[in-house]
Amino acid sequence: MFCFQCEQTARTETGAGCASARGVCGKDEATADLQDVLIYQLKGLGQYAHRLHQQGRPDAAADSFILYGLFTTLTNVNFNRVRFVELIAEAARIRDRLRGTLGETLAGPAAFQPADNLAGLLAQADIASVRAGLNIVGEDVIGLRALVLYGLKGVAAYAHHAEVLGEVRPEIGAGIAHALDFLATDPVDADTLLAEALALGQLNFTVMETLDAANTGRFGSPTPTQVRTTPVAGKAILVSGHDLGDLAAILEATKDTGINVYTHGEMLPAHSYPKLHAYPHLAGNYGTAWQNQHQEFAAFPGPIVMTSNCLIEPQPAYRNRIFTMGPVGWPGVRHLTHADLALVVRAAQALPGFAETAPEKTILVGFGRDTVLSAAETVIGAVKSGAIRHFFLIGGCDGAAPGRNYYTEFAEQAPDDTMLLTLGCGKYRFNQENFGEIGGLPRLLDMGQCNDAYSAVQVALALSKAFECGVNDLPLSLVISWFEQKAAAVLLTLLALGVRNLRLGPSLPAFLTPALLNVLVEKFGVQPITNAQDDITAALTRQAA
Amino acid sequence: MADTALVTLVTRDSARLEFACPAGMDVLSAAETAGFYLPAMCHAGECGQCHAHAQSGAYEMAPHSKAALPDPGQGGILLCRCQPRGDLTIDLPYEDAKIARQPLITRSAIIESLTPAGEGALALTLTLTPDAQLGGAADFIPGQYMELTVPGTEIRRAYSLANLPNWDGRLDFLIRLVPGGAFSTWLGTRARVGEELSLRGPLGHFTLDDASPRPRVLVGGGCGAAPLVAMLRHLADYQDSLPTHLIFAANREAELLPPALFEELRAGLPQLEITLCVWHPSPGWDGFTGTAAEALAAHLAAQTEMPDIYLCGPPKMLDTARAAALAQGVPAERIFAERLAV
Ligand SMILES: Cc1cc2nc3c(=O)[nH]c(=O)nc-3n(C[C@H](O)[C@H](O)[C@H](O)COP(=O)(O)OP(=O)(O)OC[C@H]3O[C@@H](n4cnc5c(N)ncnc54)[C@H](O)[C@@H]3O)c2cc1C
Ligand code: SF4
Ligand code: SF4
Repeated sequence: MFCFQCEQTARTETGAGCASARGVCGKDEATADLQDVLIYQLKGLGQYAHRLHQQGRPDAAADSFILYGLFTTLTNVNFNRVRFVELIAEAARIRDRLRGTLGETLAGPAAFQPADNLAGLLAQADIASVRAGLNIVGEDVIGLRALVLYGLKGVAAYAHHAEVLGEVRPEIGAGIAHALDFLATDPVDADTLLAEALALGQLNFTVMETLDAANTGRFGSPTPTQVRTTPVAGKAILVSGHDLGDLAAILEATKDTGINVYTHGEMLPAHSYPKLHAYPHLAGNYGTAWQNQHQEFAAFPGPIVMTSNCLIEPQPAYRNRIFTMGPVGWPGVRHLTHADLALVVRAAQALPGFAETAPEKTILVGFGRDTVLSAAETVIGAVKSGAIRHFFLIGGCDGAAPGRNYYTEFAEQAPDDTMLLTLGCGKYRFNQENFGEIGGLPRLLDMGQCNDAYSAVQVALALSKAFECGVNDLPLSLVISWFEQKAAAVLLTLLALGVRNLRLGPSLPAFLTPALLNVLVEKFGVQPITNAQDDITAALTRQAA
Repeated sequence: MADTALVTLVTRDSARLEFACPAGMDVLSAAETAGFYLPAMCHAGECGQCHAHAQSGAYEMAPHSKAALPDPGQGGILLCRCQPRGDLTIDLPYEDAKIARQPLITRSAIIESLTPAGEGALALTLTLTPDAQLGGAADFIPGQYMELTVPGTEIRRAYSLANLPNWDGRLDFLIRLVPGGAFSTWLGTRARVGEELSLRGPLGHFTLDDASPRPRVLVGGGCGAAPLVAMLRHLADYQDSLPTHLIFAANREAELLPPALFEELRAGLPQLEITLCVWHPSPGWDGFTGTAAEALAAHLAAQTEMPDIYLCGPPKMLDTARAAALAQGVPAERIFAERLAV
């Protein structure tokens, strides 16, 4: 196996990448190799799908499968070898169908014939490795291809979330097929690769907008909401991951059962959507970000449902009471569709639930773009009067690396006349703290999930319009923590939109070679993080200059 | 010699647990004092559940049963009988996740049914009484066991679960009666449907490596059927497609499991192959004649890819089967075993 797609990838003297029998995330060799094979097949599907899109006769089912297939290979999503064997067989069937529709037989990944047994598939995995052709094309090209592929995975994940809520746009399927077809040609030209990466960033902006439309269309526009962070006595279900549609289905299935539903990790922003908040048994938020789930899930007295990433190896203490949905999977862990939710209800009733109601504590969430923009005048006034000196968007993923303390320190050390915006699960490092108020608004505004970067961009654009300046001239700095491939997609979006003044950490992507990092720094103004105090000073000095 | 030794336990997944062990105390008790509840049962050197391997350091073993400790002298130890004589590092044959951080809670269950299951064996079904702290679910991993108390006594015996975890609190056991045995006598003569029983668990680290891509061979004999049945039911439940082979041995045909059980397993797991071995068959027996170890050796000799091996049964069967597997080139870490020592 070889995988270097996420921030926590193994880093040794000989280079970066998870290359032993098991990745840092717990993905084993067979699963990693099968994921490579699936990705290779998806490139082949992309070859056909791209041509069908060009001819104006897209295959909607194939487009949908591509999204789902890419999503299963994100970090901390699906670890189930058996599932990948099935997906590989399905991909081959879909490929055969597309070949029939197109009436033409394509070469390259499109012609790949997967073996019909595990041993055979594992033997085929070499041609599908992210590093295939390294000796011929060199590290830089491999790194750029990886950037495109990983960005694409993130785009697909967001597009899948929008699709399950009924929001499908043909240009998304076309864009994704185009990128896969591009990768299927084994591109070697650095400029073309970089252009494709930026095009994906642009596509991801459309995708995040679509997902925003799906979420707000179905559940209303996020409004500031106090969320309880302590348990109430009674039977309980914990819902983690990012899929609001799954949460809605669970809330429906548990209506009038007396079972309380708690959000975990990236599901926290759900409380701010009026139609989800309206369920009285959406009781609160439990726990913190994904990397603490071993302790938090073991201590939770009811079933746990993972609707998307980030899943880590379920411990025996809760293996029977954790369930996966959608793209997620782990061997020996029960996978559910919306039709099976009665099982979760049954589990919640059989498990003890919380014996006591703990003293109430709350946090404030729900500063989506509508809310922030409705306060725009106050904000603009506060900036003009000097009450707000600077905005810091501290957003992205959390993780286990000690270097992630940087983000806590950054939030804590940012001066009182700066406003903090946050999104993604990195916020758990500081969202329980009281940052006070500024210009009548809380100093810390929680904008939502990682995909709500869309909201943040909208706010930035609106502010730049109000101040009649470019986004990069705003008193705004982005402090991004990345972990997996959706963050890569968001990063590409920011680069494509020409957003500079961006700090990236806790470490830089291992797939980017020094030459590529140099391009990011020189051409796009991306800065690696240093330490909180220096970076704050640098940001405020830039603005003063 | 220091009064207190530093003990380091290294789990299968390389987690290191360190704690102090005062002079005169055994490693198992010292671990419990430190808050690590390691898999163990009799705490008396009889059952072999706390079997581990000393990596470095000096120690002494208090009296214990030979059957419980198959490899003394090569570092094999029983944690409940092992007293450090200086700092000691011990390899545990299971993962960190198998180590409980809370003491076990005793709870109660009601006998739901009790029916014959082949000659000299009974199928026992219990329903857990819902508990405020634990709820009412039968939450365990296939392969694990419960400790049942003989009513009116302090005597506890281990019995593996044969069914799948469920939310109804149902626990199924397959119990081979041991003539004159404490639990066996109570079960065979006095136990009645509706009676209450106290028990604790689930316990044990004999569970499937779900993520392994290798074929599997499950080998059982005597009273060792239950955990293997549970594992096979689990594989069927998850529609596992890897090659799976069950070798089940008995002294006489009548002691094999009821045929309906094998039919159920075959129906749920179409790729399952079953070898039934009888040591002393009656004329006309058309299965394998011989021991489980001999059947395993014959099976492995015909394989190109070495499988994962799961062994469950009396010590003698385990030792011979393990030796057969090692001789055929199965790596020691791919052999998982439950020793039903007495
Ligand atoms: C982890 C584990 C799981 C187990 N799972 C099962 C299971 O699923 N089903 C099951 O039937 N048993 C199982 N056993 C065995 C069970 O725990 C008891 O040892 C057995 O039922 C005898 O208990 P008893 O109280 O009836 O006999 P005891 O009072 O303990 O023994 C009476 C006499 O019989 C002898 N004796 C005890 N057990 C045996 C035996 N198995 N064979 C030959 N002689 C024996 C003893 O040496 C003693 O002399 C398991 C044991 C362990 C350690
Ligand atoms: S997803 Fe990350 S941790 Fe997992 S194998 Fe890949 S690089 Fe390693
Ligand atoms: S923000 Fe990133 S790391 Fe956090 S849960 Fe979402 S995907 Fe996982």
